[in-house]
Amino acid sequence: MNYWVRVSLQITFLWIIYELGNLFIGLTNIPIPGNVLGMVLLFVLLFTGIIPIAWVEEAADLLLKHLAFFFIPIAVGLMEWVGLFRTSGVQLLVVIVLGAAVCILVTGLVAQILASKRSAKGGI
Amino acid sequence: MNLLIVLFTIAITIAAYAFSRFLSKRFPHPLVNVVFLSTALIIIVLLISGISFEQYQPGLNLMTFLLGPATAALAIPLYRNREVLIKNFIPIVAGIVVGASANMITTVLTAKLLGLSKVTVVSLAPKSVTVPIAVSISKILNGDPSLTSVFVIATGILGTVLTPVLLNLFKVTNPLARGIAYGTTAHGQGTATALLEGPIQGSMSGVAMGLAAIYTSFVAPLLVRILIG
Repeated sequence: MNYWVRVSLQITFLWIIYELGNLFIGLTNIPIPGNVLGMVLLFVLLFTGIIPIAWVEEAADLLLKHLAFFFIPIAVGLMEWVGLFRTSGVQLLVVIVLGAAVCILVTGLVAQILASKRSAKGGI
Repeated sequence: MNLLIVLFTIAITIAAYAFSRFLSKRFPHPLVNVVFLSTALIIIVLLISGISFEQYQPGLNLMTFLLGPATAALAIPLYRNREVLIKNFIPIVAGIVVGASANMITTVLTAKLLGLSKVTVVSLAPKSVTVPIAVSISKILNGDPSLTSVFVIATGILGTVLTPVLLNLFKVTNPLARGIAYGTTAHGQGTATALLEGPIQGSMSGVAMGLAAIYTSFVAPLLVRILIG
């Protein structure tokens, strides 16, 4: 089968999984994004061996390689928010740097303490 | 002609992306960011040619059509790293849960304290999560997707620069812990940098990025409601 035919079929399959996630959210009204549920569903299907990775691999690699392209148009909406960055640019920078710094340290330290405990017992 | 405008907006988006991708490969640096460069180029062209964001919207809808399946595809790197994930389940999950929660609490409270508007505060909440999922979380929180996407990219750039500095300063030397910190804080951009540090850092970052996105999407609505009422 031609590469592009396979990729198109695989994208269709990924799209069905994504829509199943949305469908479930629509039926249950849980406040979780449908795409996250689609991702979890695909992981479970792969992990349990219900579908082989070859069914989605080529399309997944192609889409992930160009993932940035799909959200650039969303970022263009920034042109409607120029005023906010003019009036609150410094505050936004403070929030982003502080949040990131806390996240880096807390995540790194917690993971390191737990990982070294395990490796002392012969883990990793 | 509406169709012409749609075709034009799609063409400039693809051209800006291709050009920025070329530049970022040629000059690899966190500040030479594909999304920031492309977005700036596109906005400049739109302003010069007098096209409003409203007129850009139909092209946007066409171009983001594949974002849903692409997000589901994020399960693939997670699946490929399943063995590392199972082996180090506790440090990975604990690091992400504590770190991502601390991040959201700090972010929301600081933003509120600095007097930012409610839309801005909730749009900031998922800023450490990969864009497609952060944007969906933002919609659930009644935030603005465009604002969130920009905050996410800014976090990716600043996080990528800050992570090695802070980790070295606080003597986090374990490659596993370093990778988890990269992925939980700076999503895909952090993962790209973690990969340059080493293969363990890279795969841990990839796993952390996926799991942090899932965790944040479950917890953010509840946490934001508690924090801003």
